[in-house]
Amino acid sequence: MSSLTENIPQSLQREKMSDEGFITSLVVIVAVALFLVASLLVPNFFQWQNVVNLVTNNWAVISLGIFVSFLLVSGNFDLSVGGIVALSGVLSVWFAQSPDGANALSSGLGMPYPLAILCALIGALAIGAMNALFVVRLGIPSIIVTLGTMMVARGIAQVITQGSQRNTNLPDEFGFLGNLTMFGTSVKLPVVLMLLLFLVAVFVERKMVFGRITYWIGANPEAATLSGINRSWHITKLYLFSAAVAGMVGILLASEFKSGFSNRGTLMEFDALVIALLGGIAITGGFGSVIGMFFGAIILAVVTSAATGMVLSPDWQFILKAIAVFLAIVTQTWAVARRNR
Amino acid sequence: MTGPQTHTVLSVSGLTKDYPGVRAVDDVSFAIEGGTVHCLVGENGAGKSTLVKMLTGALDPTSGSMSANGNEYTPNSPQDARKGGVATLFQELHVVDELTVLENLTLGMERSWFGFLVKSELEERAVKTLAAIEPSIDPSARVSRLSVAQKQIIEIARAASSGANIIIMDEPTAALSEREVERLFGVIRRLRENDVTVIYISHKLDEIFELGDNVTILRDGKHIATKPLADVDGRSELIEMMIGRTVFQSYSPRGTVGNKVVLKARGLTTSLLKDVSFDIKEGEIVGFYGLVGAGKTEIARALYGADSFEGAVDFKGKPVGRTPTAAIASGIALVPEERRTQGLFTNLTIRENIPVMNLPRVSRGGVFKAADVQDAAHQYVEQLSIATSSIEKHTEKLSGGNQQKVVFAKCLFSRAELLLLDEPTRGVDVGAKSEIYDIIKDLADQGNAVAVFSSELEEILGICDRVFLMFDGHLQEEIPNGPDVDISHILNVVTGGQESVAK
Repeated sequence: MSSLTENIPQSLQREKMSDEGFITSLVVIVAVALFLVASLLVPNFFQWQNVVNLVTNNWAVISLGIFVSFLLVSGNFDLSVGGIVALSGVLSVWFAQSPDGANALSSGLGMPYPLAILCALIGALAIGAMNALFVVRLGIPSIIVTLGTMMVARGIAQVITQGSQRNTNLPDEFGFLGNLTMFGTSVKLPVVLMLLLFLVAVFVERKMVFGRITYWIGANPEAATLSGINRSWHITKLYLFSAAVAGMVGILLASEFKSGFSNRGTLMEFDALVIALLGGIAITGGFGSVIGMFFGAIILAVVTSAATGMVLSPDWQFILKAIAVFLAIVTQTWAVARRNR
Repeated sequence: MTGPQTHTVLSVSGLTKDYPGVRAVDDVSFAIEGGTVHCLVGENGAGKSTLVKMLTGALDPTSGSMSANGNEYTPNSPQDARKGGVATLFQELHVVDELTVLENLTLGMERSWFGFLVKSELEERAVKTLAAIEPSIDPSARVSRLSVAQKQIIEIARAASSGANIIIMDEPTAALSEREVERLFGVIRRLRENDVTVIYISHKLDEIFELGDNVTILRDGKHIATKPLADVDGRSELIEMMIGRTVFQSYSPRGTVGNKVVLKARGLTTSLLKDVSFDIKEGEIVGFYGLVGAGKTEIARALYGADSFEGAVDFKGKPVGRTPTAAIASGIALVPEERRTQGLFTNLTIRENIPVMNLPRVSRGGVFKAADVQDAAHQYVEQLSIATSSIEKHTEKLSGGNQQKVVFAKCLFSRAELLLLDEPTRGVDVGAKSEIYDIIKDLADQGNAVAVFSSELEEILGICDRVFLMFDGHLQEEIPNGPDVDISHILNVVTGGQESVAK
């Protein structure tokens, strides 16, 4: 089904779905099946509100997952997003705190709030630019680079918060964006932003040159270069977009909790990677879709919330995630191999 | 040495290898004498590499037999071959950079006692062998500090000390400088003195005359002759035996070669190319012919901006930018040497492959015009008669010839006016080959310029109007194609001969 198929006359369509369409459908089916199984096992699980919660509770990691997925499709990792979430949140707080606090942690730079979040976003972009610089210009493997920048970002956040958090002396409007409810429901602004971003990402991936170039680069970097694609610039843009989204998530989370916490977003980079892989995106690049990633997030959410519902202690969550990931990836590999036999 | 009497160490008899539709090696029988340097020559596709693969156990013969050191010899792997006394020096080196020379020499043959390494007589033998063939290499040196040539010698010493008395060397000088070649020849001569037999494969005829005792000539998979090099009357006789009458010419002069020069290359210089200059006219097909490593691919990649170089390239009066993106923008397209790794996105469909080199043509404001993408795919599938059930087929599932046509379609879609075709029919079946030649001629007839880079003389002489002969990074000579083209002169030039062999 990939990108451009939609308008093909029925007679020319292949009877067989593409591998990508097949895997995405598989992920959707597994997500729905797991939800039904959980509904049988967990009392009160089968409720509309619960479905809504599965999505709304995961707005942050799905947002991060979008460009983590694009980068993965292009053949690159981005493990820095969790660090950027912490950094941009802490920066936005520090920039917005008034300078006359009683101690170091309660006094900041006193910027007006719009300027504070703009500067925090620039801080996030700086990390993205570092990723691009090392990966594209210096040719260092992205997994190493972004592991490094993840620690750089969180490290700066830790220094600014002295290893703790900043939550005093903030202007009133600081808590506005993260807690704004929309359309008279309990759905908050960050969730709506996530959904908008997701829809745009689907359009870009399916219909736009930008999306296709990402696949070409991931499918065969050398052929892409020899076909006239400016690979360096494209990867640079992807890292900057990824950092911008992570920065936005950090700012919204800081606003929601009215605090800048240096440990916020810990392991979020791995969750973003896990949902992308669960969603059928190939770790080798050139294959997968953000729709798959979205339902990968649902799978993970169903598993963890069902576990909580079955009164398993939270300590079991990691094991459950691990089992879900292994099962999903083994199934996908097996299904594709069997199909192409 | 045991004096003048000779003994056979390796012989093949009735050796045949069939591939679907092709007989690569056809009833070949010859014998190799011990303690000699035995050369194997033939054109590309003559069956040399298939023969070597059977000798090293990488391929099983369809029929026929081999014997080594007096025993029947049916290797299934290089390890097997080693047990039979036959070792191979592969083109890619198998040394471990982080270990010392001595550790490399005994790699895989270490003796241990409860897991501790112990010294063994093997090490002594390895050190002695190395000292005998190349005393200048210190056994305790780290291999990472050695040159490619020295690493090669380490491999030779490892082969010799492991008990192999027959060493196959396939184009061992391809990556070596002139001085290093001399050093390697010294090593080979000392091996011969130590009664080791060397089977030497090279395209460079000078090397063969300098080094060889005997030579076996293959042509079209058949054994032509095995004789002492002393009995061969110079390069010309060798070349005659290599080509026979196999190069048939189907070239007919085309009327469309214009007078306008479209591409001007001046002083192209890279680590391999040396001051290469030439012109290409509109409507013209030019050929670059030379052996592997002569610099053909380097010229193509330089013109296309894929590699950096010194010198100047003008296309239609304007300098060409130094990236593929810029080259495409000025109207140049490349069909690269390796279609699977450089030309195609094999896990994507035909439809997704074709538009990549000219995205503005099928998009507006960054959004694809889906109908245009499909029309383009249908148009080129039809125009190039790509055999497929659907434009939605993944290109990895197409045959070699059809894959190559998709790469052509990509380039045509870019509306290029100069096409650089690097080995355009490598790995393509005969039918698709002639179709591809027709496509190339059509392109030139429409006024486009085409440059074909090929190591197949038949291909070059079949379609090109003018031929540039390459050797060792130099553009040696430019000759017009025609019915009276002197094939043995061409082969002489591209194998490094300076003067004409015509007598």
